[in-house]
Amino acid sequence: MKALVRVLPPERILSAQWFTLFCITRSATAVVAPLLLTLQGLEGREVLLSICAIVYGGLTVAAAARWSSLRTHPAAWVVDIVAVLALIVAFGNWRSPFYLLALTTLVLPTTALAPPRAICFGAGFVLAFFAVALYVGIDWHSIATTARVQSLFAHLLVPLLITAALAFGAELLRALERERRRSERLALEAERRRIAWALHDSAKQRIHAASLMLSALPPNGDGDLSPVAAARRELSAATVDIETSVTDLRGPLLEGTTLGEALCECARRMSIGAGTEVSVAGDAPALPAFVAAHAYRVGCEALTNAMRHAQAAQVEISIRASRQRLELVVTDDGAGMPDDVRPGASGLRAMRNRAEAMDGELRIAPGQDGRGTVVALSAPLDRAGRATA
Amino acid sequence: MTSPLVIDESQDDAGRMISVLVIDDHPAMRAGVETVLKSTEDLFPVGAGSDEHGLWHLVRRTRPQVVLLDYHLPGTDGLVLCHRLQNAVLPPAVVIYSAYADSSLAIAAVAAGADGILNKSAPATELFEAIRSVASGAKVLPPLTAEAVDEAEAKLDEEDRPVLALLLDASGLPDVADAMGIPLDVAAQRVQGVIRRLRVQVPTPG
Repeated sequence: MKALVRVLPPERILSAQWFTLFCITRSATAVVAPLLLTLQGLEGREVLLSICAIVYGGLTVAAAARWSSLRTHPAAWVVDIVAVLALIVAFGNWRSPFYLLALTTLVLPTTALAPPRAICFGAGFVLAFFAVALYVGIDWHSIATTARVQSLFAHLLVPLLITAALAFGAELLRALERERRRSERLALEAERRRIAWALHDSAKQRIHAASLMLSALPPNGDGDLSPVAAARRELSAATVDIETSVTDLRGPLLEGTTLGEALCECARRMSIGAGTEVSVAGDAPALPAFVAAHAYRVGCEALTNAMRHAQAAQVEISIRASRQRLELVVTDDGAGMPDDVRPGASGLRAMRNRAEAMDGELRIAPGQDGRGTVVALSAPLDRAGRATA
Repeated sequence: MTSPLVIDESQDDAGRMISVLVIDDHPAMRAGVETVLKSTEDLFPVGAGSDEHGLWHLVRRTRPQVVLLDYHLPGTDGLVLCHRLQNAVLPPAVVIYSAYADSSLAIAAVAAGADGILNKSAPATELFEAIRSVASGAKVLPPLTAEAVDEAEAKLDEEDRPVLALLLDASGLPDVADAMGIPLDVAAQRVQGVIRRLRVQVPTPG
């Protein structure tokens, strides 16, 4: 299946595309600015600035290609803007051909930031450029009567338009990528359910049938040592294996995500429109799939209880994992467990069963000052060699 | 699906030969059960069906003494079928034959009026004994623990709990309708609703 092959996180795939856009625009503008100046006839200082622009364009592209962390580093963005604005100051006129070069400093920040922050960044750029224009001098006497007023406003508005377009474009692509991964995961889960059903519906039934027929054979005197008895034991073990596989296959899919990420996603899904604030602290990067799946279900069930039944305003999830144990604690400030909680309430029972399956402990108690509920799961991680791990 | 015709002599031989109808959606299981039943002297398969249609058709045609009914059937529910069978004219004895036999299924089976419940992993001798017992009118059911009853009640709405209590007391549909003060067809709906709510989750292809 496709989903098994694709392992790159979506952000990395997309940032590579935005980097390509940066390289193209930066290289083009670093060459176009000197070309424009050449057409107007180069003079002493402009030759130097042209060389600077070409060298700077080449250097920045090379540096961003070499050190990819520079592409997302705010300090690098600011240095980039300051350097290009310095070229404009050195040129001595805000209507400089280096303005195009300055626009390319927006590509990486606006596509890496969330849209509101990207717009703020763009506005900061506009202010910085306006400050440069003031510094190098705006001819206020002629500006109102000439086309320069349009030019100034264009210089100030174009960066905002570029910022908005890139930021929303990037956000849209991120959303599409997330959606694509979600649908791939759903397809994979459906496939797993189908396999679980096939195992249960067909393989297990055949084993039962074979075992039944073997058991009808006349005993040959060896009792439990006879090959038939041994074969039946093997078949019986096979049904247990199948049962375990079916349980695993029907469990949630945590491949590629950590327990913390999966619980964040679960909280996000549940808290839409619920007005509950959920925070997740800590994470457990590498857990056995068996433990991760059960812990995830226990966490989700505790979240459901807190949000649906206890109407909690705040839920805190804390995850800690050492080499030996996983500790998952879900604390809420809701109405707490009802006094007459049904002994067999299916959610609580399922949590207990999961804790038992993990050889772990589940503690459900009122919160510190009597408010809310604390659900604490503690499970051993040294399951190496266990058949179910 | 091959099924030997019902032989009249067997009916005359009442108490000696026990006719068994097998309903299971997997061909291997049907073939396996038919094979082992034929190896006995007192049990004989009168037919095997894979779904609800096959069940009613074969029950009408062969009038089996015992129906061995799979719990998980495509498009239907073995327990609901069991309940309908028990309310038919001249109901056969029904053994729920399932790959699941935990206590929650036992409650559901008793509520559905099953005479017996047996795990598919049981050896053939247990299967034979179970069939002989239910054919003689006995029950082959695990004891119902108070915890299992509580758990079953927790799955139901408040107003359905008396229905479950009546069913566990082996009350027939008319008794349920009488006790609840509702028409027979409404009672049938309620009872089937209760049985569906008690379902045990099994893997589904979707």
